This record gives sequence, structure tokens and C-alpha cells, in this order.
Amino acid sequence: MEFEWDNAQRSFRTTVKEFLCAHLPEAWEALAQGPGTEWQSTFSKQFCAQLAAAGLLVPHWPARWGGRDADPWVAFILAEEMWAAGEPRGGQYMNVNWIGPTLMRFGSEAQQARFIPPMAQGRTLWCQGFSEPESGSDLASLRTRAEKSGAQYRITGQKIWTSYAGEADTCFLLARTSAGKNGISVFLVPMESPGITVRSIPSLIGDGDIHEVFFDSVQVGSESLLGAEGQAWDIARTALSLERVGIPRFAFAIRALHRAVGALQRARRFGPGAIERAAQARAACEAARFYSYDIVDRRRHGLPIGAEANAARYSTVMAERLVAEFVVEFVPEALSGGDQMLLAHHQRAIVAGIASGAAEIQLNIIATELLGLPREPR
Amino acid sequence: MDFKLSDDQEALVSALEKIAGAFAGKPPEFHGFALTSAELERALEDGDYFNIATVPEWGPIGAAMAVERLARTPYAAEIALSMLVRPHLPGNAPRPVALVEHGRPGRFVAGARTVLVLQGNSIDIVHTKPADTEAVASLFAYPMGRLKHGISGARLPERETAIVRQWLQVANAAEISGLLQAAVTSTVEHISQRRQFGRPLGTFQALRHRMAECAVLAGGVKWLALKAAATADPADAALAAYHAKDSAVRIAYEAHQMLAAMGMTLEHPLHLWTYRLKALISELGGREGQASSVADHCFNTGSEGPNAAPWEDRARARQ
Repeated sequence: MEFEWDNAQRSFRTTVKEFLCAHLPEAWEALAQGPGTEWQSTFSKQFCAQLAAAGLLVPHWPARWGGRDADPWVAFILAEEMWAAGEPRGGQYMNVNWIGPTLMRFGSEAQQARFIPPMAQGRTLWCQGFSEPESGSDLASLRTRAEKSGAQYRITGQKIWTSYAGEADTCFLLARTSAGKNGISVFLVPMESPGITVRSIPSLIGDGDIHEVFFDSVQVGSESLLGAEGQAWDIARTALSLERVGIPRFAFAIRALHRAVGALQRARRFGPGAIERAAQARAACEAARFYSYDIVDRRRHGLPIGAEANAARYSTVMAERLVAEFVVEFVPEALSGGDQMLLAHHQRAIVAGIASGAAEIQLNIIATELLGLPREPR
Repeated sequence: MDFKLSDDQEALVSALEKIAGAFAGKPPEFHGFALTSAELERALEDGDYFNIATVPEWGPIGAAMAVERLARTPYAAEIALSMLVRPHLPGNAPRPVALVEHGRPGRFVAGARTVLVLQGNSIDIVHTKPADTEAVASLFAYPMGRLKHGISGARLPERETAIVRQWLQVANAAEISGLLQAAVTSTVEHISQRRQFGRPLGTFQALRHRMAECAVLAGGVKWLALKAAATADPADAALAAYHAKDSAVRIAYEAHQMLAAMGMTLEHPLHLWTYRLKALISELGGREGQASSVADHCFNTGSEGPNAAPWEDRARARQ
């Protein structure tokens, strides 16, 4: 058991930090006013193309798809540094973390050839069409329909709280092809398709981040179906398992906490109450870090990953919450224009326990699968 | 980073499993607070387990694993200080080792051969004879005792004091980690079997969520304790001890709520873990003491932390 980074890992982290230093504008934090803004999407395409050129966008992908088969630690160190920096890849982190790998596993050759190279080159943005007005945590109840007619599907329905939809090129869409839990399929739908309407929803997270997406008899060919009809649950489970520890939220949270403590120290306001709350938050972040590292290590050793990923996710939710609450209580001026980075952290922290499956869903899974508690009757 | 156990660590884990397995159950006739066993002490002495931190193949992380695993038994034994702190004491300090803070009763003080006396920022080491200490009746599930008046020892130099304090934190976190695991396991077992309103308590979401949260906290404590033992970094020790105590406060409460009246009896073993936790929560200045330690080692370094942003460094350099 080894808790230190090896030389290659340390050197890779330095490379990523140097890249960030060289390529982020000095006013980066003031410019980035929300992960889904037009400015962010445009900047991310330029930034990700530069990352790709430096071999830093998808190093963990197979060489065939533009990577160099680097181990999962490389991907995670990269993700940590990017997230700590406020995620300059914008929504493209999803391509790198789970959309690309999911297409590699379930996509046809034609789909892979069409969609993967633009991801590896950093010039495309995706959104995920999962939640619906009546289907949030209970995803299996979704109603968006994809009706087959010859070689075409006609998609009708509504998605909601869809991140990046306003700027995305393609939607990773869940739609119903028949009744029941096994009647859901995945479609890869170009967002320019006739019949798609996107409306931005004003939100706490920042400008242009979440949306309603309406599908009004959108016609797509059968080449848009990912995997087989009814395979969505398998595919989504794979995607979500990659996503659950995909975002190293603790890295941005630790940076935010240190920044807030620094402000208090300079103002001579870091008293006993703040010290105890800061220690609590810092320790929770460290626990979240090692929960996530455990998952990365399991991936690296090819070990099965079950509800440990849910525990890692929940641990992160607790840490994010403690840091966000610390800032609100002790450095409230940060939310009133006092510190753009702390404000951005607060905006993102609220998402931690909601996106990719609510925290309460994680607790249910942990209770059943990790603790072996009997299931709740339905 | 690599969390795979080495062959030597695997061998240690399986040997510990065998020892702990022999002391897994509370004797049905025992209805007291501190359950001790001369056989357990002997097994650990005979196997030279108290010195495993000094064996290169195992080191302090092996010792932390041992402390964590053995704490999961219902038996209270002076293991943590011997395994994790004693290697940092001057000379060949005899065990058992105990801790006295502010003149209060401490765990294993009666019968200890080495007592660490914490006073303010200093530590005195007292090599005690049986007549120097006396047992004290206590609600804590450890044999508690006190140092008789007028017993004094040798003061540790400042540098050694800091190191011993650090390893006291690691020992505290590792022992709490094992106790938390045991308390969670015992509670899960109870609410899986106990039926009310026609179904097991563990099917009620209000309880499931709280137990799941406790399990996540306990898992985090284990990670931080092992890391602190492995890195020997004072910041890691402070974080581990804070998280351990903070999680212990929550989990000790939740476990008793879920066992309700059953957990109030001395027939059920729950108190053998939770009333050890309560003793450990208070040591080393409690959460407040650990928070100060975190502030000293994590927030007083002049850096922006491990995730400092490089362009901020660049801007600072230009100022």
C-alpha cells in the first residue's frame, strides 16, 4: 500500500499545471461566468484543441482513438487539476470521462468513426438528455418516445435540466422505444436536427447552464441508435459509473477552502469557531479525495467497483457542502462580488448532491449493496 | 499511489484476522464495561505484534492496520499506543503505555509501565511501578486509572514532543477507525433482524440513510488513519484525528438511537465499542484540539493548499 505519488505521476501533474499556467488567461476566473455560457463553450473548444495537441486531452484513451493508453491515475490527475482550475474544458469533460469511453464500448464502427475523433480533437460539445419533468431520480419512468418507422425513428418528448444544451453539438439521449424499464434506448442526436427547441432555464449555477429541450417529431436514422433497442439501462449504468467519480469536486473545494481561510487570516478573523469548521471541512475533503482515489486504484487493478463508487460520491457531497457552508458563514462577501472563484465554487457545489443521481439515491444504494440492509418494500 | 496490499501486508492481515477471530464475541456472562483478556495480550506478545511498526516490511501502516482490526473486537487492550507511539519514545520504553491529560483518569493507566503526561504543550514520560497508579471505576469501556500524586517524570525535548503528539493522533484515529467499523456492523446486524411495524427496521429509509452516512464517515476515517500512518506527515495526522473524532461523535449517537433500549443493556456488546469511542473522542483536546492542529499544519503554511492554482502563483510572483 503506497500513499505517495511516484515520479511519473508527479511529473505528469507538473506538466498539467504548467499547461494551465501557459494557456489560461490571467482574467480567467472573471471571464468564466458559468460552465454553459457561449464564452465558455467557445473558449473550451480552443483550450481543448490545445490540450489535444499537447497530448493532454485524452491520454487515458486507447492509441487508436488519439490517446496513449495511460493508466486511470493519469486521467484522474488530469481531472483533478482541471477541476481545481475551475474546469476550463467546460462541458467537454463529459466527452473525456464517459461519452467517449461509452461509445468505444457500445458504439458501431460508423458511430465511433463519426463521433470519437472530434472529441479527441477537443472540438465538439455534447449534452446528456436524461431527466424529464416527471422523471428525475426515477429515470426509468421517462416518457420521451422514439417510434420506429422503417429505417427512421421519430422522437417526441421533453428533457429538462439539461446542461450545456444551448451550445451542444450532439445529445446523448434516452428515449422510450417500448414499455417498461427495458424499453429505453440511447440515441445520439445532432442538436441541429429539425424539431429540437432549446430554452435556457435561469439557474443558481450560472448563466446558460441548464435548459429545457423539446423534441417535436425529430427524425433520426437507425444509425443514431446506440447499441440495441432497450439497452439503455446497461449503457447508462456504465456511463454513470464512469461519471460518479469523474469529477474530483474535492480539488476545487480544497482550493476554495484554503482561499476562504486565507481571507479570514488576513482580516484576523480566523477565530476558534472558524478554525473548527475549517478543520471539519478540510478533513471531509481529504476523506472524499481518498474515497475517489480508491475507485481509481480499483480501476487500475481491474477490481470490481460496486457501491464503493456511490460511497465516494456521497463523501464528496458531504465535503462540498461543508466548504460551501463555511464560505457562506465566514466569508459571505464572496457571494456578493467579493471573490469570483468562491462564488463559482458555491454555484457548483449545489450541484454535487443532485447531478448524476441524487445523494439520497446514493445512500439507498450504499445501504443495500455496501451494508447489506434489507430493501425498502415497494 | 497504489492501494494494493503487498504480500507481506496480506500475510499480516490474515494473521491478524486469525487472532481477532478468536476474540470476536463478547462472553455471554460478561455484563460489565471494560472487557479485557490476558489471552489476547499474550497472543500479541508471543507473536511480537507490538513491534510491527519497526519491521520494515510492515512499518507504521502495518501497525495502523493491526490497531484498526484489533479494535473491532469487543475487547479493550492497550495496543494502539504500544504499536504506534512507543517506537517514538526514548529508550526502550516498557509497555503497557498510557496517557494522562490534565491529571484526569486515563485508559490503561493502572498497570501501565510507561505513562505519558500531557501538560499544556509539553509531555513528561513517567516509568511507573504498580504502586504509582490506581484503578478508577468508569463508564468508559476501558480499564481506567490515575497516577498518584507526586509522581513525576522526564520532560521530552520539544522536537520529540511534536513527533510523539503526531503519533498519538495517528493511534487515536486508527483505534477509532476500528471501533467505528464495529459499531456500524453491530448496528446493521440489529436493524436487519429487529422487526417493528411488521418489517425489519433496516427497511425504513429514515434509518437506512443515516446508517449509510455513518458507513461513509467510518470508511473515510479508515482512509485518513492509514494515510497518516503511511506518510508520517503531521498535517495528515491532524486531519485523521479530527475526522475520526468528528465521525465518532455522530456514529456513537446514531448507533444507540438505532439499537434503542437494546443498546442500553450491558447484555448487548454495542457499548463495548461506543463507550470506548467516547473515551477516545475526549483525548488530545477533543475536536477543538485537533482543529487547532489542522490549522497549524494545513492552514498556517503560507501556501494556498495542495490545489493552489498555477496562474495565481504566476500573478503572485509578479506582485
